[in-house]
Amino acid sequence: MIEAPAGTAWYVYGVAEDNPALERLDAVELIRQGNLVAIVREVPLEEYDEAVLPERLNDREWLERNARAHEDVLQGAAAVTAVVPLRFGTIYRSPEHVVEMLGERAGEFAENLQRVRGHVELGVKAWVDLSALEQTLAAGDQPVAGGGAGAAYLQQRAQQQERSRELSDRLTELAEEAHRRLTAVAAADVVNRPQPRELTGRSEAMLLNGAYLVPEGDDRLRNEVEQLAAEHAGLGVEYELTGPWPPHNFTGEQS
Amino acid sequence: MSSRELAHRSGPAPAQLADVLERVLDKGIVIAGDIQINLLDIELLTVKLRLLIASADKAREMGIDWWDGDPFLSKSARDGNGNSVESRLRALEEKAGLPTTQKEES
Repeated sequence: MIEAPAGTAWYVYGVAEDNPALERLDAVELIRQGNLVAIVREVPLEEYDEAVLPERLNDREWLERNARAHEDVLQGAAAVTAVVPLRFGTIYRSPEHVVEMLGERAGEFAENLQRVRGHVELGVKAWVDLSALEQTLAAGDQPVAGGGAGAAYLQQRAQQQERSRELSDRLTELAEEAHRRLTAVAAADVVNRPQPRELTGRSEAMLLNGAYLVPEGDDRLRNEVEQLAAEHAGLGVEYELTGPWPPHNFTGEQS
Repeated sequence: MSSRELAHRSGPAPAQLADVLERVLDKGIVIAGDIQINLLDIELLTVKLRLLIASADKAREMGIDWWDGDPFLSKSARDGNGNSVESRLRALEEKAGLPTTQKEES
């Protein structure tokens, strides 16, 4: 299409505290301003052109490839220094604009870097197989005796409803307890919306989707997850620990 | 492929796509660069991604409807039957103070 000099853009993955080890990152460039470094990659402008972007964003392969690339760069940076992740798709038309942005937001970046320095983000998810749990509980129902078919049905319904309420209460307590205990061993916490099954590909429902900021090398959260898993295994609740992640959940506006 | 990837990764498996998307698309500092990625496009894309993975009908069958908040799809996605387990889970999420996008049928 256009073979103008404006054929290139600079994609910014994140902003880090300067560190010589950043030079070893593959396939990225560093744009410095004071003590801050923007980790960028030169990308063909046409890849992110506003005209084609909506289409690209809805192309699953393109999205996955680029989202993972974004994450990989941040992982690499986070391994060597404090880094503030930027959201996917922060793109500038020239390195000078990136420098400007670093200057204008220096205070905000410093504040965020201060918060996450020396910490990693860990993800904790709790899963429950609701149908299996319901079946287990159903097996404990009173056999229905006497009365007609209608009465039996009503009684069964009442039992089911009672059971559902109990189940719901129990699982609520459980999620609250888990989050409370994890928060107690974390520097900061965020509870995210449970992911839908389409995205997780699992039949179990997600009960908790939390992110926790913990000091690097601190095993307390990991141990707490193991403890929770052991305690709640009887209810068919499983825990999953992910990470360490760059501190995606702990930068930006803290609510 | 480098030491950097090995250095920071401790999990045995590569990260789940869902976890990556959740973080990369929804988190991090938002700065309007020179080229605007429309957040609506992002929402649309995650919705579409879900629909790619499982068809809308299948999703409804499973009681998945948390794209309800998306004005683009809320109408078409809304006519499924509420699944009792799912609605209970939503109630539960609410009680637990977990974020949920429930938009209850009545």
